[in-house]
Amino acid sequence: MSTPLPLSPDTARPAANEAPVQAHSVVSAALVGVAAAFWLASMLVFLTLPLEQLPLYLARRYLVLDATSLLFVMVVNTVFLGISVYIHSRERTSRVLKQDIRSRAGLVLLFMLVINIGILCNHLILLWILIELSTLCAAPLVARGNAASPKGVAWRYLLYSAMTLSITFLGFMCLAQSAQLRGVEISFAVDALGHALTSGGDSWQRLGFSFMLFGLGGKLGLAPLYAWLPETYEAAPTSTSALLAAVQFNISVVAVFRILQVFHGVEAHMVSQELLVMGYVSLVVAAVQVMAARNYKRLIAYACVSSSGVIALGLSVGKAAAYGVVLYVVSNAFVKSLLFLTAGRMRAVYGTNDVAPLSGVIRIMPFSGLLFTVGIFALLGFPPFASFLAEMLILSGIVQAGNLMAFTLMCVMLTVIFVATGRTVFPMLWGAPKREAPPSQETWLTTVPKLGFVGILIMLGTYTPDAITRLLREVAQSIGG
Amino acid sequence: MSLPLILCLIATVIPVFFGKIGAAPFWLGLQALALGWITLTRHHELDVHALALGLEVLVVRAWLAPTLLRRALAGSAVQRQELMPSNLFAWGVAISLIILAFKFGDGARADVRALTLGVVAATVMIAFLVLSTNQTPAAQLVAMLFMENALALFESLMPEPWPLPVHLSVSALYVATVAVGSWLVSGPSGVLVPHGDAMEEDT
Repeated sequence: MSTPLPLSPDTARPAANEAPVQAHSVVSAALVGVAAAFWLASMLVFLTLPLEQLPLYLARRYLVLDATSLLFVMVVNTVFLGISVYIHSRERTSRVLKQDIRSRAGLVLLFMLVINIGILCNHLILLWILIELSTLCAAPLVARGNAASPKGVAWRYLLYSAMTLSITFLGFMCLAQSAQLRGVEISFAVDALGHALTSGGDSWQRLGFSFMLFGLGGKLGLAPLYAWLPETYEAAPTSTSALLAAVQFNISVVAVFRILQVFHGVEAHMVSQELLVMGYVSLVVAAVQVMAARNYKRLIAYACVSSSGVIALGLSVGKAAAYGVVLYVVSNAFVKSLLFLTAGRMRAVYGTNDVAPLSGVIRIMPFSGLLFTVGIFALLGFPPFASFLAEMLILSGIVQAGNLMAFTLMCVMLTVIFVATGRTVFPMLWGAPKREAPPSQETWLTTVPKLGFVGILIMLGTYTPDAITRLLREVAQSIGG
Repeated sequence: MSLPLILCLIATVIPVFFGKIGAAPFWLGLQALALGWITLTRHHELDVHALALGLEVLVVRAWLAPTLLRRALAGSAVQRQELMPSNLFAWGVAISLIILAFKFGDGARADVRALTLGVVAATVMIAFLVLSTNQTPAAQLVAMLFMENALALFESLMPEPWPLPVHLSVSALYVATVAVGSWLVSGPSGVLVPHGDAMEEDT
């Protein structure tokens, strides 16, 4: 027998009756316009500039356009375009968003501007500052969430970020100390820092490198500094969760890649050990927490912790898994965006993030239910998605590197995550509906960005155009040693 | 050069042992004055770049940020709370951290450099200690600002001053931290105020 379900408070009605509250505003349309301009600019650079001409230094060498920055500028701007279209479409049915659209669009634009400059940055301290600035732009967006104390969540997010970045700053201090003791002048420009390093196993240098990786690992959501991530992703508005998971995550990945590029071959053993430990712990933590999760946004958040663990394990083996890691990072951006944006639709209709009241989502919301299913399969690394290919390449790289312990642990934990996710999500999607309601109608505008993300994931997993393969390979070579 | 460094250290250590949260804007302002002094005396010639940097430190760090923080704390009961819990354990840890910080700086074996690195390390350590011993958001915000002042002081260890874009970014970061942090910790819906109602929609 069907029982009443707590419906979305703004409507107290199913999605089928979600009538437009107001027309679209110029602001959200302008946001889409700016996002489209960013995306077109990044695609134009990619299509017209041969890879052989890279790197190009800009703004007195503070910015650099190389394979890494080009790839990530394209990825984050593609995701941004999808998110801005989602915000534009949600504005029709959300009173809160309609009232708040000016400040929110302004903050999102500022956030994206900082992220784009950060990705292009050729100076580690400037990059560090820009990551923190992006956090300061995102905190007011997080504070617009639906938690009991949204400002509290935003504050803890800001605090964790400051803590992790302070640890990275300690790393800079140790490197400066190391250089001074050896009588070498140090510059934190990415293309110049390498000259101040020694391969002689200097302990200050090792400590500095270790702190930098550990601190940035916290920004990636790697254990042990991961606690901010599930809380923030769950409590933030969905569009903000997607921005954090798919855009800000990637600027932190760029920072890690830059550090690996600088330390190319120096301290390789220590890097490997540190990343291995953080990867192991993250996978175990994510597996345990996914088993306990009864909230679909939190479940996606813990899946993000597990993804960071896979990236850390892949990076720990260096060259063997480098291509797989780069492909995994790129595919993850689209998987997370797809999942969070679809979760946002579900939240708008059901008014809750809990799994328990939801059942038979695919019948009430056929399109969103289907897209969520696709997103979950992509997240779990099923073919034909890019994440499948990437996970296979990472596992194969780990085996080639002879680290059977990492291989076994990754396989076991991913299996646990698969079973636990399926146990939670599949009844929610395919179970008998707990309420009687006609299927929800979704506008084409809501579905286009998600379909775009699915298309990219399938393309990267089945047929990748040569130009993109070469770009991915260039980035992989730069971090692979 | 060592006099402003000592002033900076005093402005970091005293509030932690004896200061209330309400007095933090004053101590942050004092730290900024010391930073401005270091910036101006560091350059052999008082050129436009040095003057602009000194002015930026004085306007942004010594005046604007403390003013914003003072406004955020105005009327709040938090002002009367201590920056760090005053007990022997916390004091002991703080003293040990300061000694260790100067031991860290001593490795450089050059007087002013060692002292600067020691002050930077002590400021960072003290900030971490405040973050771990005081759960009051206002105190945590002050600790974050201490950390960012340490970053600004760290610059004086570099062979060349940071270029203007990096300086401007550091200043923007400082102002943004004060502005966003103050907004989050103060006001009717700030972190300090308990909330029972969730917002109605997810967007």
